[in-house]
Order: sequence, then structure tokens, then C-alpha cells
Amino acid sequence: MKDRKIYRDLALVTAVFALALAIMLGVSWLQSRRSTPLQSQVLETLKELHESHPENEELASQIRQLDLLSRKAYFTEKSQLKSGVWILCGMAAILAFCLRMYYKDSRTLPGKELPAGDEWQDKTLSRRYLQWGLATGLGVLLLIILSNALQPARFFRQHEAEPLPDVDNYAVLDEETQATEPTQTITEEPEQQAVRPMQSVEAEPQQPVPSAQAAETTPQQPAQNAQASEASRPQQAVQGRPASEEARPSKELPQVATEPSVPLPVVKSRAFRGNYSSGRSSAKGIPTSWDLSSSRNVLWQTAIPRHGYNSPIVSGRKVFVTGADERARELYCFDLFSGELLWTATADNIPGSPGQMPEVNEDTGLAASTAVTNDKQVCAIFATGDLLCTDMEGRRLWARNLGTPDNHYGFASSLQMYGNLLIIQYDNNDKAELLALNVENGAEVWRRNRKDKIAWSSPVIAQVGDKPLIIVMGNPAITAYQPRDGQEVWRVDCMSGEVGASPCYANGIVYGASEYAKAVAINAEDGSVLWEADDCLPECSSPVATKECLYVATSYGAVCAYSAENGKVLRQHELETPFYSSPVIADGKVYLFSNSGKCYIFSADIRFELLNSFDTGEQTFATPAFTDSMMVVRTDKSLYVVRKKE
Amino acid sequence: MKKQAKQPKGPTSRRDFFKTCGTIIAGSGLLAVGGYLAPRSSATEGDSMWQIDPELCLQCGRCQTECVMPVSAVKCFHANQVCGYCDLCGGYYRANVKELNTAAENMLCPTGAITRKYVEDPYFEYTIDEDLCNGCGKCVKGCSSFGNGSLFLQIQQEICLNCNECQIAKVCVSGAIQRVPVSKAYRLKDKA
Amino acid sequence: MKRLASISVLLMLKARAFAVARFPKPDFHSGYQYPDIVHTVPNETFWSWMDLGILTLMLLAAVWAVHRAKSRRIILGISLVSVLYFGFYRSGCVCSLGSIQNVALAIADPGYHLPLVVLLLFLLPLAFALFAGRVFCAGVCPIGALQELVNVRNFRISRPVTVALGVIPWIYLAFAILYAATRSQFIICRFDPFIGIFRMGGDIGMIVFGVLLLLLAVFVGRPFCQFLCPYGALLGLFSRFSARKVEITSPECINCSLCHHACPVDAIRPPSRSSREEAAGKGIKRVLLYLCVLPLLTVGGALLLDSQHDSLSLANKQVRLLHLLQTQEETATLQMAPEVEAFHEMGGDVQVLEEQVGHIRQQFHLWSLLAGGLIGFSVGCRLLRLSVKRTRKTYEIDPVACVACGKCWSYCPQNKSR
Repeated sequence: MKDRKIYRDLALVTAVFALALAIMLGVSWLQSRRSTPLQSQVLETLKELHESHPENEELASQIRQLDLLSRKAYFTEKSQLKSGVWILCGMAAILAFCLRMYYKDSRTLPGKELPAGDEWQDKTLSRRYLQWGLATGLGVLLLIILSNALQPARFFRQHEAEPLPDVDNYAVLDEETQATEPTQTITEEPEQQAVRPMQSVEAEPQQPVPSAQAAETTPQQPAQNAQASEASRPQQAVQGRPASEEARPSKELPQVATEPSVPLPVVKSRAFRGNYSSGRSSAKGIPTSWDLSSSRNVLWQTAIPRHGYNSPIVSGRKVFVTGADERARELYCFDLFSGELLWTATADNIPGSPGQMPEVNEDTGLAASTAVTNDKQVCAIFATGDLLCTDMEGRRLWARNLGTPDNHYGFASSLQMYGNLLIIQYDNNDKAELLALNVENGAEVWRRNRKDKIAWSSPVIAQVGDKPLIIVMGNPAITAYQPRDGQEVWRVDCMSGEVGASPCYANGIVYGASEYAKAVAINAEDGSVLWEADDCLPECSSPVATKECLYVATSYGAVCAYSAENGKVLRQHELETPFYSSPVIADGKVYLFSNSGKCYIFSADIRFELLNSFDTGEQTFATPAFTDSMMVVRTDKSLYVVRKKE
Repeated sequence: MKKQAKQPKGPTSRRDFFKTCGTIIAGSGLLAVGGYLAPRSSATEGDSMWQIDPELCLQCGRCQTECVMPVSAVKCFHANQVCGYCDLCGGYYRANVKELNTAAENMLCPTGAITRKYVEDPYFEYTIDEDLCNGCGKCVKGCSSFGNGSLFLQIQQEICLNCNECQIAKVCVSGAIQRVPVSKAYRLKDKA
Repeated sequence: MKRLASISVLLMLKARAFAVARFPKPDFHSGYQYPDIVHTVPNETFWSWMDLGILTLMLLAAVWAVHRAKSRRIILGISLVSVLYFGFYRSGCVCSLGSIQNVALAIADPGYHLPLVVLLLFLLPLAFALFAGRVFCAGVCPIGALQELVNVRNFRISRPVTVALGVIPWIYLAFAILYAATRSQFIICRFDPFIGIFRMGGDIGMIVFGVLLLLLAVFVGRPFCQFLCPYGALLGLFSRFSARKVEITSPECINCSLCHHACPVDAIRPPSRSSREEAAGKGIKRVLLYLCVLPLLTVGGALLLDSQHDSLSLANKQVRLLHLLQTQEETATLQMAPEVEAFHEMGGDVQVLEEQVGHIRQQFHLWSLLAGGLIGFSVGCRLLRLSVKRTRKTYEIDPVACVACGKCWSYCPQNKSR
């Protein structure tokens, strides 16, 4: 009897201890599951912070302490958990043993006399229970089936039915656009017809290559085409500044009157690296030397209010650049002739815009993406994902946030426009997609999910024969999409690493090159790879191509001309200065700025001679924009226009 | 087993008859399963251990968290024959390291399981301390994206409990964990 | 289709192989030797045969203890050894319970390599059950043994309830076979409540469940074995026809009912008196009715489960991947799941995946029919058995339910006097 009491007490004590220990272990285990000390967010943030401020000793010592602490915590936690579990097991064993011993004597007699029970009654009852269970199970199953049947978004059904409605949708979409277009054109001003979507799609490709020089770089164009563009040129000159809003200010603005002899420039540079990002401009009469300090061949120079690495674009007599910092993100419009800041449009009050600026690298900044225009609207995007569209007078038409990009350097892809489609390559860490928005209202026309990883490249339009293609370079593929509906035309896996450069197109060939990958030439018709090379690869600078050559500027100072035919390096210059700015061909010459601001001018042929080089004295990361006999250059802080002075 | 009896027998003998029938059926069922599967299974002695195929592994980090062991049985292995013995090691240092020293802010491994030893200029030998390694695969990712890929994840068979169904294999994003024969219990990179 | 898949895999491997070897092999001048790192491999073959040998020995010992020695003490000893060796030392895998799934998979997929040891693990306890009842459950199975060791008192659950709950193991078995045969999941392993306790780690949910079951096992005999164990269902079926049944005592039962009270799993049937009189022929009619219901239930169960084979197939990894890919496509704004990312990174072809998924769904089609049929059949059989009256003169052991724990022996006064 005495033994029993001891066992009972022992059992009670162990039970209490075991319970307490079990709760403690459980809690600590749950804690360790939720946040393992090794994956401390604080530590990771500190380490990242340290990367941008390597000289900060205090930060470093803080990291070291925290690292030691977290590792200590991790290992002691593990060992404590292990020993704790062993102790708990021992306690459980003691408990079980004590309980057994305690109840040992009570076994001889049952606690109470159980009724013998009527077996048949039991069986009947069992059957009834089973039948109830069966009925309940059946009911539940039927309920599930019913709810599944009612739910429209059933996985497999949808999956099976998917292809058909898709095709229908596109057809409907086509019909809709076709049906709505005429009505829209009728209701709107007749001048605007020139830039209506589908017609303009047909008409526009010829615009960037109207001159003889352009015909020379892409002589594939049939002769009659050249004639046609020649013929359309005066017409365009009229239509080019048609937009009444553009003609009006030119009359109203008195400053313009000081330059009455200068006609409104015809050649435009609507996007990063010229129209459709071709990297070639039909501009002529560009000076081959200038001097900022003495203002020789420099029309004007003015400071840009906020910083940005984006490049200027030119339409008519308007120059657009963007700038951003912690406080504001702005689109600026400068007068091409006077350098006066005509207006500033601020990207603020946009729903979904992040309250706090995303973390960006200093080398990228918040405004790395170049704006785009179609002579009626201007669009700009910032590293916050804020997309702003204004008219040529700076009046906001619409603005939206595309979702803050998860981008460890900062979003940098420039915008592209095709007809009234605004094309955005939105390759970020969280998702990669290509968007096409209606530039008039910002509505989404289509959206393609891309199977690529993050990239900082910009889309390019290639006019292949009579069909346009959007060429997007990413990691790991260069992909061609149809502008109409975003259908993938071809896809070539050839890139790797961090792709910062953009592709380029000339003469039926799409070129792509990126450091840590290779340079490739792809037949734009079918996506077959023509050649590959890895001699000279750019990091940030995008290549430019002509019929004969592909010109590449690297961040380690080499500038090369590849043969367009076989990818052999025809000529290489070791300039020993990094290039982030992209080469642009104008007037038969390749213009290229080094980061330090040295300008290099090469002949745009297979000899690739260095014609001239001189220091401008101002750091230059942006790519210049060309217009009639003028070049617009953005330096680190300012904007200037180069023009030959008589 | 519950067929109505046709034979006019007493209840007990009928039950006995059923029982004998059942025994025969059950026995022959067992024999059938055994006979059907035994010839196939005896030939395949191997395929009995779980291992990671380093060619398929994408270092998603689930090995660290999904293993049934308190500290994952997945460890980082190092193939010295493949290693470039670099000073700036992508598996040892963080990606944007400024100074090549052992300060905590420069190290990639969260548990400090990688040690390095100076060999000769400019080579360093790297060693994994498996007791500290938790199989997170950060160094593997670093090495395969910047280096030769000499660091790779493997299941340490001494620790692995050889579960009937590997918990990590069930969630492995690339299907890299497969059963391998005992003779090829490790998929080593330097002894391929 | 398979060739396509292999080609894509080859291409991918090439691409990946291309990515390595950025730095040349160093050219050492100091006479440096590459360290010789040896990765030890436990002798898995030895251990698995060792396990099998010990299992056989323990089964034999249990047979001896149950049928010859009739000693609960020995059975408890075996239980302790089993818990310590199979449970804590060998940490559970592979066990006979789990081997059901391997066998089902091997039958469904001829390409699956079933190790002989696993096959024998599956067959041996069943064979023993056919000859000597559920001796495996008595103490050889670490799961049963652990519950047996902690059991101190028995509070009886109403018999109709336990009988009705007895269908759960069959349902569990049907689903285990369904998911195993389609290579989706090993749910018996996944939801094994005691493996976490033996390993002192693992899924916290299952450990909590296991601890709760063990606490329950202190007062109710072997809750897992009675109401969950799918292998127990098979063993029960085999021991129904076993050549030698577990016996309480020599024939001279005095109907004292002590054993009936002692039995932790309620496997001892008291003598039944046909108390209620029924109209002649009513019993036969009832039996005939349930005989008709049996095929109905079987077919109904098969069709019902089959109607759900689409939803069921989501347990498969490949199917889930396709599902993820498609939801990703539809809602492009969602963050990409790591699986989807990996799929793209590996250059996966959606079309190939779709074909594979189509094949898997076909398998689900077949196996959900079979599993549904099994569930319906087992429920029907149970109903049929419950509709038959039986007369018994003494206390008898129901071989299906009896786990041969031997508790009744010490309670029987006839045994004592012997």
C-alpha cells in the first residue's frame, strides 16, 4: 500500500515536470521555426548596408557582434532542444513505469461489473451507426461535388477549355479595335489620324529611315520604298509638326522668334537611342568637335533639376528628360533651341506608389529609364514603378503604378512605343513580364508573362520585312513578340548573368550582347542563330549595328567592330576607359561617350577608324539624342545641345 | 468469403469450410503477391538510398528546412579536384565583398562552416565542417554562379534516416533528390 | 513523349555543364596534395537484412510467447525490445506499415524497384498472421508496442462505436494505395504519429498528434491499432483465416467474464444468447438484402471516388506544378512560386508536363475506381457480417480484433489454477 502511494506521488511529480518541460520545449521549438537566428533579417539588412558603406567601421563591428550572437543562439538552441527532448523521454518513461506500478494491483478485479450486453442489440446498433456514417460521408461528398460543379474556376475543366476561348478572345479583340477605330478618328481632330494605331504602325517604320543616309545603312529597303519616303518627307514635315498644340506655342513663344531661320527639326529621337531604339539617326551635319568651356559649337547648356541616368529624347523642338530623388520624380521638357525649361510634370499622387523609395544602387538611381514619346504623348517611368503620361504641354493624361519593382539595383529598362502601344519590359526579381498599354488612357492591352529572370535591358522594335517585332533581351533569352497581341514569335536562349545592355536590330538581324554571356546574331525572321562571339562584350552600353558591322563599347575600355556576317572582330580599340553610354550612328559616324565624358567619333564602316576624340570635361552616362544638325547630350548634372555655329 | 452455402451442412462445419477456403485464398494471395514481385525485386538490390543529383539541384534552400532531422542531413560537399582554389571565392565570400578577410560582414556561410587554408600564392584550400553545416546551400549557389561549382549539396548518408519517402524529395523544386543504389550512395563531382 | 523529355533533359545538362569550370585547375608548385576526403556510407544492406532477421526472430519469439508460453511478461519484453530497437534505435523506416505503399507502387508501376527486404517486411507479418494470428501486433510492431507499454487502464468505449469506427483503417488503406500507386504521396509515412517520437524530431503537428494518441493510449487500449492502422486491417483479415488462433485458456471456460473486461481492444466476445425471437425467414431476408447492397456499395464507392479523381490528383507533385503554372499564367501579378521558377529555369516544357499530367490523371482514374471500390466493399462486408446472428456458448476471441497482447491470460482464473 505504501509502495502504491510512492508510485502515485512520483508519477504526479514527473507528470507535472514533463508537462512543463514539454510546453517549454514546444514554445522554444515554435520560436526557432518562426525565426531561425541564422536568417535574421536585421543582420542581412546590415550586411547589405555595409556593402554600400564599406568604410563604416561601426557598422562592421555591429555586424560581427550580431553574427556571433546569432550563431551562438542557433547552436545553443539546437543543443538545448536535443538534451531537452532526451530528458522529456526519460520523464515519460518514468511516468509510464510509475503508472503501471500504481495500477498493478487494481487489475485483478474489474472496476465495476460490466453489463454482459446483448450482442445482437450491439450489432444492430453498429449497423445503424455505419449506415449513418455512410450517409454522412455520402452527403459530404455530394456537397463537395456540388460546390465543385458550381465553382466556375475549376482547374481541369478550365484547362481543357482554355485554348478555344483564347482564340475567340483575340478575334473579338481585333474586331473591337477595328470597329472602334474609325469612330474614334472621326470624333477626333483630323490631324491626329497620322498617328492612329494601326495605320501609323504601317506608316511609321519608314520615318526613322527617310533620308538617303539611312537608306545606305539599311539598303535592304527596296528602292521604291526610299522613293516613297523621299516623297513623304515634305508631307511629314508638314505633318511632323502637325499637332496644332506644337505649332501654336512656336508662334506664341517670343524666344523662338530669335531663331527664325531655323526650321523645326524633322528628325526625331523618340526613344532611348533614337526612334525604336535603333541606335541610328538620319540626322546630318553634326559637329565632330565642340568645347563646353568655351561654348564652341555648343548652343546651350543648362542644369537638370533632379538627377537621373536616363537619356534625352527629342520630338520637334522639345527635349524630354526625367529626374528623380527621394523627394520627387519629375519629367522635364526643355526647348531645343533655347534650353529653357518649358514645363515639369511631377509623378505624384499615384495610387499604389510606394511611400518609401525602393532600395536602389547609386549607379542606377531612381530615374534610369528613358522616357518615350509618339509626338502626342510623353511617357516616363521611375524606379518606384510609377508610370506617368502627359501630353506635349505637360498636362497629365494618366498615371499609374505598375507595382514597386523588386530590383536590387533599381528598375532601369527604358520605355518603348509602337503606334499607340506603350511597351514596358518589366523584368524584376518578383516577376518578369512585358506589358503593352494603351498610351491614351493607360489601359492594359496585353501582358505577357516572361520566363526570364531580372534584367535591365530595354525593348527594341525591329521592322522585319513588313512585319514589326518587339525584341526583348533578358536572362536567359532574347525573345521576339508581336506588337499586335504580344504573341511570342521566337525565343533564343543565349544570355546569362546580369543583362544590362539592350539588343539592336539592323538588316534583318537582331544582335544581342552582354557581359558574362556572349554576343549573338539572330535571324529576325525565324530566330535562328547566325553566329556567336565572346571577344568583346558590353555591360551597360548597348551595341549598335549597320549592314556590315556591329559596334560594341565595353565597360572595361575596349570598343570593337564585329563583322555582321560572321562575328569576327574587324577592329578593336583599347581605350582604357569605361563606357556606360551607348554608341549612336549619325551622319556616317559612330558617336560614343566614355563615363569620364570623353567623346570618341569613329567612322561607321568596316575600317572603324577613330576620327576624333576629345574630353568634354563632364561625366556622361546617358546616350545622346540626335536631331537635324543637332545633338542633345545629358551629362551627370546638365543637358547641352551641340550645333555647328556659323 | 461471404457466399451463401449451398451444401447442406451444419453451421459449425459450414464455418470451418469457409475458414479453410479463406485460408487457402489468403495464402495463395500472399504467394501471388510474393511471386509476382519477388523476381523483380531480387534483381534490384540497389536503389535504396536518397541522394541529391548536383546537376539538378537549384539550391532553393528547402533542404535546410524540410529534413526530418533537427539539423538537416543535407550537407555541403567540396570537390577539391574541381575547385579553382581562388582567393575571391564565391562560396566563401559574399557577392560584393570589399576586403578579403574573415570578418563576419564578408562571410557567406551563416554558420561559419567553411574554413580556408593558405596553400601557396594565390591558392587557398577550402574545407567544410559538416558538424556546423546546415545544408542551406548559400555557398553552393555562390560557387556555381561565380566559380567552378566545386561546392555541392549531398545527403550525408551517416545522418540520413533513409525514410521510406524523403520529406525533402517531396518538396524539391527540381526533383533533384532521387533513390540511388548503395554502391553510388554519393554523387561526387570529382569522382564522376 | 519520353524521348522528347530525355532530349530536353540532355540539352539542359549540357547547358549546365557548360556553365562550370570558369577557373582552370590550379598548378601547384609547393607540392600540395589534394586532400583525400572519404565519405562514409553506412552498410545499408547489412542493416536492412539485420532488421529483417531481427523481425523474424521476434515474430518467432512472439509466436512462442502467444501460443506456447502464454506469457504476457515475454510479450512485454518483446515490446520493449521492439520499441528500443525498431523505434528509437532504427528510427522506424522502413516498417511493415509503410511497405504497403511500396508494394502497391510496385504492382502499379513495373518500373519501380522494390527492394526484396521491403517485400519481405510486407509479407512476413501477413504470413505469420495466416498461421498464428496477429503476433506482429503483439509486440513486434514498435507502434503497437509503444502503446501497449504506456497502457495502464482501460476505459471501454461502447462496442457499436468501435465497430463502426473499424472501417476507418480500410478507408485509410484505400487512400494509401491510391496515393502510393500513383506515385503521389506515402500518406502512411506522412501521417505516422509515432515516427516523430521515435526520432525526437520532425513535423510538430504529427508529434503533437502522437503525444495525444499516447495519452489516450494510457486509458484506451491501442487507439492507433484499433482505429487507424491500415496494416492492422490487413492483418485482421489474414488472422480471420489463421490456422492457429489465439486462445484465452483451455476449453474449460467458466464464463466468469474477467477476460472480457480485461481486453484492451474489446476483442473478446461474450456468450450470446439469442434473446429476441424473430419471425422465421426474417434473418435470411436481411442477409439477402445486405448481399444485394454489397455490390451496390462497391460500385457506388468506386464511381463516387472516381468522380473526384481530378481533385484527388492534386496531391501529385507534377499535377500541382501544372496547376501552379496555370494559376501563375492567369494571375501574372502573383509572386512566382519557387517550383514554377525552377521549372522555367530547367527549361521545362509545359506541353511535356501536360502530357505527363494527363498520364497521371489516367492513373488516378483507375486507382480511384479501385480505391473507391475497396472502401465500398469493406463497408458492405462489415454490414453483412453485422446482419448475421451468431450463438456462442463461451467467451471467445475475435481473431480479427485480437492483437495477442496476452492480457486476458493472467485474468483467467482457469489459467491461474493450472
